[in-house]
Amino acid sequence: MKLLVCIKQVPDMESKFKVNAAGNWYEETDLAWRMNEYDEYAVEQAVQLKQQVGEADLTVLCIGSDRVKETMKKALAMGCDRGAHIADDASHLKDPYTIASLIAAYAKDKDFDLIFTGMQSQDRGSGQVGVLVAEMLGIPSLTTLVEFSYADGTINAKRELEGGIKAKVSCTTPALVTCQLGLNTPRYPTLPNIMKAKKKELISTPVDDLNPQPSLLEVLQVAPPEKKGGGLILEGDPADLADQLIQILKEKTTALA
Amino acid sequence: MEYTREIYWNVGHGAITLIPMYLLSLTAIGVLVYAFLQRSKIYKQGQTLNRTDQLPLRITTMIKNVLLQSKVLNVRGPGAAHALFFWGFFILFLGTCLIFLQADFTDLFFGIKFLKGSFYLFFSLILDIAGLIAIIMLIGLLIRRYIVRPAGLENKKDDFIMHGLLLLILISGFLIEGARIAVTEIGTPLAAWSPVGLWVAKALYGMGEPAVRVLHSNLWWLHLFMVVIFIAIIPFTKLRHIFTTSANYLLTDLGPKGRVPTLDMEDEEAESFGAAQITDMSWKDIFDADACTSCKRCQDRCPAWATDKPLSPMKLVQQLGDVASQNPTANLAETITKDVLWACTTCRACQEICPADIEHVNKIIDMRRNLVLMEGEFPGEEVTTAMENTEVNGNPFGLAFASRGDWAAGLPVVTLEENRDVDVLYFVGCYASFDKRNQTIAKAFIQLCDAAGVKVGILGKEEKCCGEPMRKMGNEYLYQMQASDNIEQFKNYGVTQIVTTCPHCFNTLNKDYRDLGLDLNVTHYTEFLANLLQQGQLKIQSQPFDCTYHDSCYLGRYNDIYQAPRTLLQAAGATLTEMAKSGAESFCCSAGGGRILADENIGTRISEKRAQMAADTGAPTLISNCPFCLTMFEDGIKGAELDGQLQSKDLAEILVERLA
Repeated sequence: MKLLVCIKQVPDMESKFKVNAAGNWYEETDLAWRMNEYDEYAVEQAVQLKQQVGEADLTVLCIGSDRVKETMKKALAMGCDRGAHIADDASHLKDPYTIASLIAAYAKDKDFDLIFTGMQSQDRGSGQVGVLVAEMLGIPSLTTLVEFSYADGTINAKRELEGGIKAKVSCTTPALVTCQLGLNTPRYPTLPNIMKAKKKELISTPVDDLNPQPSLLEVLQVAPPEKKGGGLILEGDPADLADQLIQILKEKTTALA
Repeated sequence: MEYTREIYWNVGHGAITLIPMYLLSLTAIGVLVYAFLQRSKIYKQGQTLNRTDQLPLRITTMIKNVLLQSKVLNVRGPGAAHALFFWGFFILFLGTCLIFLQADFTDLFFGIKFLKGSFYLFFSLILDIAGLIAIIMLIGLLIRRYIVRPAGLENKKDDFIMHGLLLLILISGFLIEGARIAVTEIGTPLAAWSPVGLWVAKALYGMGEPAVRVLHSNLWWLHLFMVVIFIAIIPFTKLRHIFTTSANYLLTDLGPKGRVPTLDMEDEEAESFGAAQITDMSWKDIFDADACTSCKRCQDRCPAWATDKPLSPMKLVQQLGDVASQNPTANLAETITKDVLWACTTCRACQEICPADIEHVNKIIDMRRNLVLMEGEFPGEEVTTAMENTEVNGNPFGLAFASRGDWAAGLPVVTLEENRDVDVLYFVGCYASFDKRNQTIAKAFIQLCDAAGVKVGILGKEEKCCGEPMRKMGNEYLYQMQASDNIEQFKNYGVTQIVTTCPHCFNTLNKDYRDLGLDLNVTHYTEFLANLLQQGQLKIQSQPFDCTYHDSCYLGRYNDIYQAPRTLLQAAGATLTEMAKSGAESFCCSAGGGRILADENIGTRISEKRAQMAADTGAPTLISNCPFCLTMFEDGIKGAELDGQLQSKDLAEILVERLA
């Protein structure tokens, strides 16, 4: 069985973000980098599947500068067999369509039975790359999975819908799935696996070798959220507070109408 | 007339006595040696470890601890009873050796007798007193064990055999002496030099000489027989501690105190890390179990045990011994259970009090290492998250590494990146950097240094967690990553003097980092400020206040710093009411051993128990010197509903309010 998991390296969300000079993305200084949270679920699920079926080869793919190799090593330490690095110092300027075209170009002649991605990235949050890859490869995609099982070429899964509702879905491989919070608990890599990961194959391919398709979207401007009106803190004893709150709800909202 | 006595009186000094006596004695010694040799195979299952370096120091340590009973006497009451019993019994043993020496060696071959004259009188008197003391102490210990029954003291078959046999040996010894005196010494001045023997003799006198002689010879053989049994069963019962505990003093860890062995992460040959099975531990770890006397002093002081958690340091050590002797392939974490392993706060109370010099803490860390490094397991998801946070941002909170130095804005402190020309590097640590409550301590420390004219630098965003909580949780790999990054910074900036406000950072930088190539002065702020105070650089106004002081584990037990904080408190005008558990007996706040990262889900809360102890002194303020302690006490005071009655403060806060 051939498996692919696509991951992205993103800044830690606690980092101090600054808009870059071009005004179209964030400044990269003083950021701590880590694996996109949803991609961690994808890697974990892929590794679990590999362990389940026994005979499987799991490739982890990541697009970005040499910096992303650190994050790929974590995926290798979690249990991926080999790394495919698409070397691109300007990946942050590429839209989901271009990114998907790179992954599809890499995967098209490799006969992956199953491709795992995160539901979305924590920094751009488009949620499009996975489904676009599936479309380009002409395979079905199951998105926002919170449960996953595989047997004899069939995937049975649960998708998270709005309002806590879940949908049971099923398809046969080859297919692509995107992973959501709640699917699993990503493992903490063991030391022998961290050591082994350092020696695993990790091949870089220049981005232009994969014939990137032109972007359909362009980021015009990135800006911090505008400051809106501050919060209101009510003080006093509980009975007074309740009266004040009711008054505010009546005056400023339709909650009690 | 020359004072002496006939040795082998009434039983004879011929072959009919000596041959069976020597055969029995040699058999007993043979059994003893053979059984210990057999037992040593159990120890040899462990990994190699050199514990015979610095032999002169080791030997003097052993002699001191055995003969002076120094560690045993750390607990009064039973400790004194044991020590007095030991001294009594030891003198009787020496006395017996002298008799043997004269009767069957110097007199036999050279005709030399030394048990005579005034030396014999003192010999008689001292042995009599020694025997009496031994009996009284043994009876006292028997009463404690079987009538008083202190909580946690386990009575096993071994204990019954030991106490019973020793008592019978001592009593029969006096009866034999009494019988001899009844026949040979009553009415002579000699008798007065054996007061206990004389008292027994008077009781036996009425039986008449023939009956006394029969009693004497029967008891003599019975006494001999019991001594032979005593020697032979030493390796099979807790009596083995006579040898194993003494040996453990010789084989002790010579420090530095609390040092954890550094794992070689680059070792390509290593297939496993930490202890999964007993064979992964050192031979000394197995030997420790045999040195244990079940005195339960460790268990009595264990904060986990005291709050209904399943960890007893004593039982853990004994379980390891059972595994080594009965089931050496057993998985240790499963046998001991993970809850037990995760419960330890590495407070070192067990090890500090252990009269047998057993090393509990590193065993636990060794087993944790296996769980973490080989299985990727932690006590809870919150700990895994803290580990991942540390990997990414260099602090367990997961806050932006770039904001690590933000607390220092506007204070008289520079980052070394700005200016490396400073007197000391303040290694701030994660809590004082990021935790709001603890930032006040960092700020106070900077103000105190500024007032004393000390130029302080920090690493700011170039500092990372020292790695201590991770290391004690078993994550040696993450610890070494953090440590090597920090050491690189220290070296980059040519740092020569580091001060910390956190005792965990202090202990780690000062001891653990040495294995990784760091060798410079590291001081905890209490000692640093006490020194400035003494030199007159720091001036503190005395303003009277009442408080109690909590000795943090890593400043107290790990580094024996008890006085410096108290000196500072005194200068500040404190009226200090000590808690019952203070100094080396201090009770952990619950946050050591990486437990600061973990939820406390089993039993009651250690921090609340400690807060209650502080409140019981009646003092309104609980002073500590550690960010973990402060954090725990803030919670513990709320949890124990002591708000308004007790407040938790760091020593630096008290001092900064009193800057002259």
